[in-house]
Amino acid sequence: MKKIIAVLFSVIVFISVIPPLPASAANEDVLTIRVCNWEEYIDEGGWDEEEVIDLESGDIFGETALYEEFEDWYYENYGQRVHIEYSCFGTNEELYNMLTLGDEFDLVAPSEYMIMKLLAEDRLVPFSDDFFDEENELNYYIRNVSPFIRETFESNEINGEYWNRYAACYMWGVVGFLYNPEAVSEEDVSTWNILVNEDYRRQMTLKDNVRDSYFATLGAIKGDLLLSDDFRNDPDYHERLAEEMNDTSPETVEGALTFLQQAKDNVYSFETDSGKADMVTGKVLVNLQWSGDAVYAMDQAEEEDFELDFSVPEECTNLWFDGWVMLKDGIGDSAEKQRACEAFINFLSRPDNAVRNMYYIGYTSSIAGGTDGDQIIEYIDWTYSAEEDEEDTVEYDLGYFFDGSLYGEDAGEGSGEYILTVPEEQTRRQLFAQYPPREVTDRSAIMRYFDSEANARINQMWICVRCYNIGKINAAGWVAIALAIVIVISAAVYMRLKEKRVKDVKVNRRPLRIRQPR
Amino acid sequence: MKGTFQRKYLGIPYALYLLVFVILPLVVIVSYAFTDSNGKPGIGNLLNFFTDPNTLGTLVYSLVLAFVTTLICLLIAYPVGYLLAMSSIRSKGAILMLMIMPMWINFTLRITALKELLTMFEGNLAFHPFMNSVIGMTYDFLPFMILPIYNQISRIDKSLLEAAADLGADPTQAFIRVMLPLSMPGVISGISMVFLPAMTNYVVLDMLYNSTYIMGSLIGSYFSAYDWHGGSMISLILLIMICLFTLLAGKDESQGNVRGGSVL
Repeated sequence: MKKIIAVLFSVIVFISVIPPLPASAANEDVLTIRVCNWEEYIDEGGWDEEEVIDLESGDIFGETALYEEFEDWYYENYGQRVHIEYSCFGTNEELYNMLTLGDEFDLVAPSEYMIMKLLAEDRLVPFSDDFFDEENELNYYIRNVSPFIRETFESNEINGEYWNRYAACYMWGVVGFLYNPEAVSEEDVSTWNILVNEDYRRQMTLKDNVRDSYFATLGAIKGDLLLSDDFRNDPDYHERLAEEMNDTSPETVEGALTFLQQAKDNVYSFETDSGKADMVTGKVLVNLQWSGDAVYAMDQAEEEDFELDFSVPEECTNLWFDGWVMLKDGIGDSAEKQRACEAFINFLSRPDNAVRNMYYIGYTSSIAGGTDGDQIIEYIDWTYSAEEDEEDTVEYDLGYFFDGSLYGEDAGEGSGEYILTVPEEQTRRQLFAQYPPREVTDRSAIMRYFDSEANARINQMWICVRCYNIGKINAAGWVAIALAIVIVISAAVYMRLKEKRVKDVKVNRRPLRIRQPR
Repeated sequence: MKGTFQRKYLGIPYALYLLVFVILPLVVIVSYAFTDSNGKPGIGNLLNFFTDPNTLGTLVYSLVLAFVTTLICLLIAYPVGYLLAMSSIRSKGAILMLMIMPMWINFTLRITALKELLTMFEGNLAFHPFMNSVIGMTYDFLPFMILPIYNQISRIDKSLLEAAADLGADPTQAFIRVMLPLSMPGVISGISMVFLPAMTNYVVLDMLYNSTYIMGSLIGSYFSAYDWHGGSMISLILLIMICLFTLLAGKDESQGNVRGGSVL
């Protein structure tokens, strides 16, 4: 026995002292950067021939994965070999748990509230000054990011730390309803209250995620206030809206519980991923959805020859961002790792690469282009613009995103150079979801991260919504349960007793008399 | 000779596996379960579980769901196992293979297919979440019930039934007094292979649109809310229930004497 333990012990010691093999042991001056991104959230190449995006400024085509192409690009421009160790996560919470349980990454792309949480916990490395240098031609991010995104990141902070110092926006969007226009009226779907509308009983899905469901609920229960003229015309409208949509007071959470319990009995299900497919196969009519996934579902529906539309409720919508942040745990003091991470962000921000990502994943890039090429607006034009002989067309102004300003006298206005002529239906289709117009982003609020007390309150509320409350069991139910328990127990006892009886039986046999042969 | 290879060394890989993937996680779970978020030891999580009507309700809901699933599996599986084991048809192997064939395919794929089938029959699935969950679980677990019952019955010495008939038992009596007791070990191992997984198999519920939590999804929700302490406690409670159950069932199985000792 002792020997076994000794052997075991030595094996364990041996295993624990073997250093983990480096990714390419032969070449020691290759720098490894560990990147963790959402699943299917980057162009992985391998496009078909006919998928070429032929823009005026040249063709765009995804042959290999962007993170692989980066390795050569970095060597050409910075003279150092890097290797990108690319991995994925499924939810922000999963990423957070991975980081807390000891996984090490250098660069990750969580959503804004998780960035705020990581920032508040002092786990992020700020960008170097060079990252913000617009003179440097390799700094594609700062040279090409949309002014709308840039100013949002410059004006949002947590504990006095502004987002833009730590995070570079990757993708962004809003939340709304994907719906089937043949069965659902545009009016019904323009309010969050559709979730308790009995006309669509068991034909809508909510997100299986407390934050999205809570936001929708706040929009519904605060609807009267949010739609009132007083509130809308308040000079501090945006501040007040943000405050209302981040309300976690006990009374509000209580109200949300009542609403969500009602909604749970009215909707088809809480889904994480099945919603898009169920919309396309027609199982449900309304689906609470992020704008990028809505684009994907609308494309799918078109292939099946029917139409899905996207609507953003009138009350307000959730403006969300996914952004690249560098982690202290991974980067440490390594200046060369930091340089490579920043270069990776810049590489993804090059307008042609941003187009490849948008084409591949359906979400909206933070990049507007301009300084280093007009591929973004050309791509939108290429995808959505009306044919010349098309009759029912409208003008669609994207100035706010491309050269507008959030603040000052001409807030929200662009130069008028970014107006597209698009088919009328695109005002509620893919274009509307991918690049919502100014009036939609105007009624949007960012949902911040909740402190641990508020978080506990909201999670408890969510558990109340999802769990079967023992108080709901009626007298007949208890009788049935008791009966079942009695039957099971008595069956077990009966079997035991019988066994015992069998064992205790004494068999008296006559001794065998074997006749001996004479 | 000392230092040479001994047969017991063959157990080392498994012992290592046991240590790293069973013992160690267990220690972690226990240590999380009995501490609060500040690391202070206590039984607060335990009390929370048994005082919250939501967690208790989830426990009852899971037990009821698992009970109904097991009962239905048993009602379907026993006759099948019995007929198959007693019949003398030659294509027995083929039929048995048909039964266990679904087990070769990943169950999420199977449930996805089932979802489409059920939608075809019922239309909107969201109106009968409990029933659909039971159907889904039965579909998923039935082979685990059929196999042990079939195995057990086919191992029973058929001459015992002839003996019962010789001694004047009619077929019903022979079945109740001989067949049923002898097949019990198979039934019990079938039950333990269905009942316990059915309490936590929340993927089936998710995929069939049942929005009510069972034990598995409840634990998951604690973890995604970063409450590893509460989640670990629920896992531990579940683990203890499983241990109790296997202790009860296992004892019977070890005494299951196929040759007929317990009939006598």
